[in-house]
Amino acid sequence: MNLRARMSSALAHGLLGAAALLTLAPFAYLVCGAFKTRDAFFSAHFLPRGAGALGVDWGGLTLDHLARLFSDPSLRFGASLLNSVFYASVSGVLATLCAAMGGYALARFAFRGRAAVTALVLGALIVPAPLLLAPGYALVHRLGLLDTFAGLILPGLAPAFGVYLFRQAMLNAVPPDLLEAARMDGCGEVRLFFEIVLPLCRPMLGAFLLITFIGAWNNFIGPQIILQSPERFPLAVALAQVKGIYGTDYGLLMAGTLVSILPVMALFIGLQREFIAGLTSGAVKG
Amino acid sequence: MSSARLHPVWAPWIFLAPFVVLFGVFMVFPLVSSVGLALQQTYGPDTAVRVGLKNFADLFRDPLFWTAARNTFAYTAGSLFVQLPVALGLALLLNQPGLRGRAWFRLAFFSPSLVGLVFVAALFALILHEREGLLNAALARVWPGFPAEFPWLQRHIMPALILASLWMYAGFNMIYFLAALQGVDKSLVEAARVDGAGPCSVFRHVTWPAIAPVAGFVTLLSVIGSMQLFELPYILLGGAGPESRGLTIVMYLYQNGFETGDLGYAAAIGWVLALFLMGIAVLQRALQREARS
Amino acid sequence: MNTRRTDREPALTPAVWIVCTLAVLSSVAVALRPDAPRPDLLLWTFARPHQEMYAPVLEEWNAAPDRPRAESLLLTTDALQRRLLSGFLSGTPLPDVVEVHGGIAAQVFRGPVEQIGFLDLTDRLRETGLLEQFNPPSLTPWTTRGRIYGLPHDVHPVLLGYRADVVEAAGIDLSSVQTWDQFVHVLKPLMADADGDGRPDRYLLNLWETNPELLEVLLLQAGGGLFDAREQLAMSTDVNAHVLATIASWTTGPDRIAINAPEFDAAGNRLRLDGVVLCSLLPDWLAGAWQLDLPGLAGRVKVMSLPAWTPGGRRTSVMGGTMLGLPRAARDVERAWSLAQQLYLNRDIARRLYREAGIVTAVRTFWDDPVFDEPNPFFSGQPAGRLYLEQAPHVPARTSSPYQRLALAALGDAALGLKAEAERHALHRVEQLEPLARAHLAQAEQRVRQHMARNVFFESAGETP
Repeated sequence: MNLRARMSSALAHGLLGAAALLTLAPFAYLVCGAFKTRDAFFSAHFLPRGAGALGVDWGGLTLDHLARLFSDPSLRFGASLLNSVFYASVSGVLATLCAAMGGYALARFAFRGRAAVTALVLGALIVPAPLLLAPGYALVHRLGLLDTFAGLILPGLAPAFGVYLFRQAMLNAVPPDLLEAARMDGCGEVRLFFEIVLPLCRPMLGAFLLITFIGAWNNFIGPQIILQSPERFPLAVALAQVKGIYGTDYGLLMAGTLVSILPVMALFIGLQREFIAGLTSGAVKG
Repeated sequence: MSSARLHPVWAPWIFLAPFVVLFGVFMVFPLVSSVGLALQQTYGPDTAVRVGLKNFADLFRDPLFWTAARNTFAYTAGSLFVQLPVALGLALLLNQPGLRGRAWFRLAFFSPSLVGLVFVAALFALILHEREGLLNAALARVWPGFPAEFPWLQRHIMPALILASLWMYAGFNMIYFLAALQGVDKSLVEAARVDGAGPCSVFRHVTWPAIAPVAGFVTLLSVIGSMQLFELPYILLGGAGPESRGLTIVMYLYQNGFETGDLGYAAAIGWVLALFLMGIAVLQRALQREARS
Repeated sequence: MNTRRTDREPALTPAVWIVCTLAVLSSVAVALRPDAPRPDLLLWTFARPHQEMYAPVLEEWNAAPDRPRAESLLLTTDALQRRLLSGFLSGTPLPDVVEVHGGIAAQVFRGPVEQIGFLDLTDRLRETGLLEQFNPPSLTPWTTRGRIYGLPHDVHPVLLGYRADVVEAAGIDLSSVQTWDQFVHVLKPLMADADGDGRPDRYLLNLWETNPELLEVLLLQAGGGLFDAREQLAMSTDVNAHVLATIASWTTGPDRIAINAPEFDAAGNRLRLDGVVLCSLLPDWLAGAWQLDLPGLAGRVKVMSLPAWTPGGRRTSVMGGTMLGLPRAARDVERAWSLAQQLYLNRDIARRLYREAGIVTAVRTFWDDPVFDEPNPFFSGQPAGRLYLEQAPHVPARTSSPYQRLALAALGDAALGLKAEAERHALHRVEQLEPLARAHLAQAEQRVRQHMARNVFFESAGETP
């Protein structure tokens, strides 16, 4: 490697390192904030400084905020955590299944009406979500589903975007010959789908499941409009409540934020490869 | 498709049924009913009066709507011009041959986009705090002339939101650019280098033309996303903020529909936004086609 | 659920595994989670101190054998407004008794009168004679189109809180101050720049155009305001223009006396504690909040009647306000009504309200209570309650218009525009600023009027009873 290349490599590493530090600083700030005592909160931006080891005042750290999140019944944080897990995972699983089935039908069957459904799916891709807020609320009200999980989850189970992604994935990954061969062997349609088709588009399955999971986990406006009872609030809405009522209790707020983003982070870090592959596959090819 | 004969006629419809039913009920029906809704004034879902196109006429004369539109455009333009070059720059750096720790960098840059806007808002409320915030402290250190207690959330809300969006989405868009860069023909780059082209010239004549379609797509996606900004200022400011500086189009829609009960006006705002975004999408397609031919 | 088959598939990716497992487990957990038992009587409030104060009353209520079980729930203002409207308009669950502040109540009054979800209390109040017990101006924010929809919680008179230690150390006697002009004249010497940093060490008043509530307090005191007694929008008036022009001269230019010291804010509190800001427009509730949040001010502050705009003019104003209402959909209206009276027509609560939150009651029959005469160490031994109550009958009427929030924002914009113009053209005398203020107010009024004209449901209100 010549000098020039080495310098440019060092520069690239340096720039990326600096950018990574800037990106991670808010996370570090969040983690530190979640564990600082009320008194130590503003003593330093990250860890409280003091006479302890590494120049840190370890006595300025505490688990109280975290403990209070789950012990103070008026915060209902544990219930909200469960609600978030429930809402995000059930939405994710059902929406993925629904989209995979729809995409499969559009990709690998010839039938009357296919062109119309495909056109509807493509058309729905350009409808921005806010347009449906008001009529969607009126509809959920008319169906008597306001303030129920069903009213929150059902409208999210028919993602046109997902059907489109799965249609593309099936076109690429599921060979028609294989399906025919299986059918000749007497494989039923449902078994065919679950045992042959789904495993073939495993990467898209994982990626889309994660996308819908994270989307539901982070959804604020949906639960904010549909749900009214605090015992059903997911973390996004519950945290906004905590911020509104205990806005100056910074440690509590930071601890709540940390708990709210940690599960998604953990899930993602374990599964980032397929997530990113799935995310870009639709866009770059389409 | 030759398999048409082997499967029963009902098979595709079984698979399509859940989607078609839910899609019809929760997408097509509200979409159609939103046309009628936009022509009504309502007080809650059960009290409505037909007002025709008055909602739209009122909307165009409504200074708050224009404030919201101005803020939203400022945010969209700002986040495009700040975020996309940064995203592309990061992708180019990450795409350097011989880079160590690529996966770690990618993970670091991408991770903020996983955090929901509500949670980003809760975090940035403190980071942007004028007196105690991390940002002002950091800026004061690297830029001695920076005004003390710079009021991000009191006055300079849009720059603050653009900063937050840079943190959130630069890494997200970087992923798309990175995927596009990996599709650039390496032999073309080599050939240009051999011909003596500098890095800038290689980028302009080889790399950029190859990734331009993706850049167009990312731009479109960013515009569509930015135009729907809501949670970040809503949580950060607890509403529209002083002098409605943080009011956005979707926040105005939300306020009208769900804080004061006029679902009709909210639907009208939704339509104006939707038509605008569809216009942008059509424009982008046309530009792309132009560039290709 | 068909996915159970795929769960067993060995080749499944971990993502699918994890999320499917979570879906199954959490569904079971949510399904098995016992429904929180709904109390027989549910009270919503938006204020934490109120909830704490009502706790013993509810406890006592629940201790009686034949009574339905009552509970309270604390919500943010936003959430309470959204859920209340959703309940009134879309039939989602509602409480039986609900405490709301003026901004929320006004939103409820936006629609046609028959759609107002609160029970009309007018006849009940008249027949029981309760109407006479309340301070009349306290009923105005809860009255729309001639009907009363809530029990008033408060009077919320505004006094001037000032740093007595600083003022008295300088040998200044404020007792002779009758008007704002005298106020500025007498206190101006304290704005000297002793530390030589080119800025005054102290400012006389906490007031800023970014806080339009404070501007409205001064407009109301002067006899102006955003709406007139008949609930008609009336922003562009001579009184308002004069007050706004004066405020502009106070916040910029050579006669500046004001600084922005937001309440409930670390930076603002530091300005108060450091004595950088000397005086504040202090409604009784804020006086209570100071006693909790700013112990450092104890013994160093006093209250006095506001300086008047004209000699002999009104020496107080009003800010904020809360009511207790009964949703018409309450399951047992009579029980709810009786709980509401327990909470709002309760001498003990009135005493505690004053002791714990500094708030003086709207129930005139309790005004003789000795608690209000207790010397208050926070206010340097003054009987603060009595000082507030002396002004209580004189507080101006508050509006119940659903457009108050919009008008307030427009007022803030007008003040900001006026200040910018004053700075641009270096106009700082009140007489110079008045015509400009009038123009900005007219513009603001026009904007609000346009919004009001949109609403086909809200027939502009009649007189208050």
